[in-house]
Parts: sequence; structure tokens; C-alpha cells
Amino acid sequence: MTLGEQPRPVRPTVVSTTPSKPEIDPILEALDPDRSRPADVVNSQGLTLSFGNKRILSDIHIAFRRGTITALIGPTGCGKSTFLRTINRMNDKVSGFRHEGDVTLEGESIWAPRQDLLSLRRRVGMLFQRPNPFPMSIRDNVVAGVKAHQIAKGKQLDVVAEERLRQVGLWDAVKDRLKDSPFRLSGGQQQLLCLARALAVGPEVLLLDEPTSALDPISTELVEGLLRQLTPALTLIIVTHNLGQARRASDNTMFLYEGQLVEHGPTEELFERPKEARTERYVTGRMG
Amino acid sequence: MMAQVMRRARVARRITDGFRQIEGGVWQGAARVAVLLPLAALLFAVTILVIKARPAIIVNGWGFFTRSGFDLGRSYATTVNHIHGVAVPLGASYGAGSLIIGTLESSAIAVIIALPISIGAAFALTERMPRWVSQPLGFFIELLAGVPSVLFGLWGILTLGPWLAQHVYPTIANNMPNVPVLNFFRGSAGHGEGLLTTGLVLALMIVPIITATTRDLFSQVPPLPKEGGEALGMTDWEVARRVTLPWVRSGIIGATVLGLGRAIGETIAVAMVSGSLLASVAPNAYGTFGTLAAAIVTQLDSASTDGTGFAVSTLAELGLILAVISVAVNLAARLVIKRSARLGAPVGRAA
Repeated sequence: MTLGEQPRPVRPTVVSTTPSKPEIDPILEALDPDRSRPADVVNSQGLTLSFGNKRILSDIHIAFRRGTITALIGPTGCGKSTFLRTINRMNDKVSGFRHEGDVTLEGESIWAPRQDLLSLRRRVGMLFQRPNPFPMSIRDNVVAGVKAHQIAKGKQLDVVAEERLRQVGLWDAVKDRLKDSPFRLSGGQQQLLCLARALAVGPEVLLLDEPTSALDPISTELVEGLLRQLTPALTLIIVTHNLGQARRASDNTMFLYEGQLVEHGPTEELFERPKEARTERYVTGRMG
Repeated sequence: MMAQVMRRARVARRITDGFRQIEGGVWQGAARVAVLLPLAALLFAVTILVIKARPAIIVNGWGFFTRSGFDLGRSYATTVNHIHGVAVPLGASYGAGSLIIGTLESSAIAVIIALPISIGAAFALTERMPRWVSQPLGFFIELLAGVPSVLFGLWGILTLGPWLAQHVYPTIANNMPNVPVLNFFRGSAGHGEGLLTTGLVLALMIVPIITATTRDLFSQVPPLPKEGGEALGMTDWEVARRVTLPWVRSGIIGATVLGLGRAIGETIAVAMVSGSLLASVAPNAYGTFGTLAAAIVTQLDSASTDGTGFAVSTLAELGLILAVISVAVNLAARLVIKRSARLGAPVGRAA
């Protein structure tokens, strides 16, 4: 079963700007480069993961629909972050890492021999718990990945930097100090800078590991608002401890408990009418 | 009975209290003296050096920096001239030009060789090796820093120098293109005593210092920025070059200056492998040369035969120049650190 089989919740921001399905010209639809691509961007097929003898995830089956935001919730130590970090293979180098089952990106295993780790990470970006700017100027931070992947060079880099800083709403605040250190920015601004940096390499999937846990409420709201604008171009998977955030910001929610995927489905449904008793206890705050 | 015990206890208490106060006072006084001691020692050393060097400074003049050569003049000061009221043996002539250049050349070679090796070693120790390998290895590197320099000199002159002169230098000398800078490595390969051998020995001596410091710096870089680089699809090399290294840039500059300071001031090992040429600079990378520090130690013996004391005074002037260069290097480093700290993160900053 995939999330895609369930009815998609109404998202006012998207609905108001995108024409509904039947109005799309069939010719245009045939030309859509996404047409031949699987609707599920990331697909975890029975993923079981252990570090040494410690099993962290057991038999996780879930698919992530293109252009959706999925919140990943569960109590501390349930394997949320581990699951997230599997998708861009950040766990591979952890000692004792073993896995069974598979995770696919666009239908191809992320561990396939022909899968290039560097380009996988270009396609699957990541935002961390705390802002982690590099020790270089603000502008260089934004284009660090672009330079590494040789997507653009020279004067183009300035264009990319401006475009991405505008996209995250940071341009006006930093345009006069692009050559300055990022460490003088506020925590929220630093996190937005990291978001701009992640977006600059043009990922398809963005993994967010509690991206607002170190931010104040206003910055949190700013980041949440931005995430909405990133869909449907990007597929977002966001780990969060903040149930309110999961509810506000996501289309679908998956609830992990002790390494098992207890329940997943449209966010509204999971919060209002959980099928599992454990889900209900967690989302109502009786278990945490 | 009880009252007596109480009174004794009170008396004992008063005595200990008194002792404690005296103790505190002594401790405070000792701490003040201890703080001032290094300052006093430095002041004393510099003052003595200046007093001793004064006659030489007056007579040798500014030309001392451009001239080269060490001529004590008439032996045992049998004939003495008086220049600006200073007694100088007839024919005595001194110049520090080649020594200053030699000092800078050999230290520069040492740092150029040692820096990449040290950074590479520190990087391997902190990022590439399991703890059970890196810990004993790091310990050995620190031990290397404690090896007396005379042993390095001995090994350089007996083993390394001759071996290089026979098996390595000729190949380099014959194959270097005849272009500026590189043509310095052409020509006669010498016998093993000389600039490049000294640079190599000095490099070996300062590698442990720079490596140990750099390793400590690397281990203080928080993991999150490095992970950020990896997650962005950077290679390990790119993460090291763009994230880890810049993070500790100012610290590495400091470590390098620490090493440079040691190379500039290194005396006995250089005296053993440099060939102790006083009169001129090395004609090429393999030629013999001299440094300020080595000249002081090798010339002190013959200088004391100068009855006027002028030769010893000149050596003191060499010492003064050496001190000034060391201080200047340190100040320059501080300036660079200050400027590069503008972009970098403070070392160990939680992220």
C-alpha cells in the first residue's frame, strides 16, 4: 500500500493556483517529462536496518508521492532520524551498518552499483537540526554545492546565489553583506541560508531533520511557510518532534514506534481518526 | 573538664586561622612574583643583549645587514683600531646578510615541506583512522617532538645528508628545468651538508609540533558542518578543503608559526648539517650556508679569542637580530590570524 492510494488532502495554496486534473491538455500532459517517471519518488521496500546487533528499523514499507510533504513523527529513539538519513545514505559509514530490503529513488535502488553517491546526494538534499553554515562567506555558502557539482561557474554563481537567497526570503537581509561571515546571522537566518544552499543544487527530494528545533517561533513559522512553497517541485520528508508542526505543514504523516512503522496516511486522518491505539496515544500526547 | 576542652579547641582554632591567613598571603605573593618572573626574565635578557651588542651596532652600522662574512681581523687583538670610541682589531669585518638570508631560506623550506605533511597526517589521524590506531600513532608523533635536536643533527649529517647527496639530489639537480625559482635546484648536488638537507631536517623537527596542534584543532571541528558538506554531495576531499580546514584556519596559522619559530631559532641541528658557511649565501639548494643561530654557537669559541670583545659583541648583535625576526614573525602571524578570523568560525564553536 502506498500513500498515493489515499485521497490527497485539500491544500488551498496549491488548489487555487493549479488547475484541477481534467482541465490539463492531454497533449501537454503527454509532453510532461514527469509522465514516465514513477509517481512515488522515494520508496522504502521492507527496509530493515541495524547498527551492529542493534536493530533500529524493522521492515518499513512506505512510498513517498512526488510533490508531497510527509511528516515523520514518533517518540525519541524510534528511528525517525535513522530512517531519514538512510535515504541519502548518511548511515552507510556508521560502523556496523547493515540493511535488508531496499529503498528506491525514482524506481532505482539507492544502493545500486551504478548509483553515484555524490549525485544521489545532489538529488536528495538535507537540512539539519541546527544551522550548519560552512566557514566561508554567505554567498559562497549558497553556491558551495553548485561549485562542487560544477553546475555553474564564474558570474553565474552570483545569479544562483541571488536567486536562491530570494527564494528563501533572505536576499534583502544579506544583499549588502554577501561577503561577510554567516556566523553573524541569527539562528533562523542561518537555517534559511542552509536551506538556500540545499536548494541551489536542484534536489528532487529534501530531507529535513527537525529543521526548526533550534529556532525561535517566528523563524519556525517562516521556515514552515517556505516548505509549502517548495512543493510540488520538491518532495519533502520532515522529521519533527513538534506534532503541531506535523499537522500544520504536512500532507501525509507516518508514525514510527520502536523501529516499526505503526501507521501512515493523510495527516488530517492520522491525527483525527488514528487506526492504531499507539498512534492515538502518541498524537493525543498520552505517550511521548 | 568540658570547659577546658572547649578552650583548647578555641585556641587551636585561632592558631590554624592565623596559619591559613599567612598561607593565603604567601600564596598571593608567590603568584604575583610568578606572573612577573617571565616578564622580568625577558626584560633582563633583552637588556643584556642590547648592552653587549651596543659596540657592534655602533661600528657595524646598517651595512651589517647587507655585508656578508666574518673576519676577526688581527689575531688576539695585537693591533687595535678605535672606531667611534670602540676598540676593534685591525682588519675585523663582519656582515650578517648571508646569515639572515640563510635563516629565512632554511626555515621557509622547512615550513613548505612540513605544513602539507602535518595537515595530511593530522587529517588522517582524526578522520581516517580508527581510534585504536590513531591514539598510539598520535602519541608517537608527540614523542618525536621531544627528541633532542642534537640527535636530529647527528642523523642528518651521518645518514640522511650523504644518502640524499648520493641518491636523490643528483637526479633532481639534473632534471630541474632552467626557469626562475626552479633553477635554484640545479647545479652541483654537493655532499649532503647544505640548505635542502637542513630544510628537511628542520621539517622533520617541526612536523610533530604542527601535526599535534592541527590534530587537536581538527578534533574540535563540530560534526554538523562536515555532515552538511557530505549531504550536499561533496567528496571527503572537498569537505576537508572547504569546511574542516577553513574552520580551523587561524589555528593552523598559529601552529605553523610555532613551527616556523622553532625552525628560525634551531641552533645545534642546523650547525651540524648546514656546513656553517659564513661568507656567502648558498649558490643553490644543495650548497652550504649559515644561519644566525648556528653562527652564534659555532663562532663563540673563536670570538672569545678577540681580546677587545668586539667579536663577541657582534655575536650578541646577531642574537638581537634573531630575536627581532622571531618577534616579527609572531606579530605577523597574529595579524594574519586576526584577518582570517573574519570569515572562519571560532575554534570549537558549538554548531
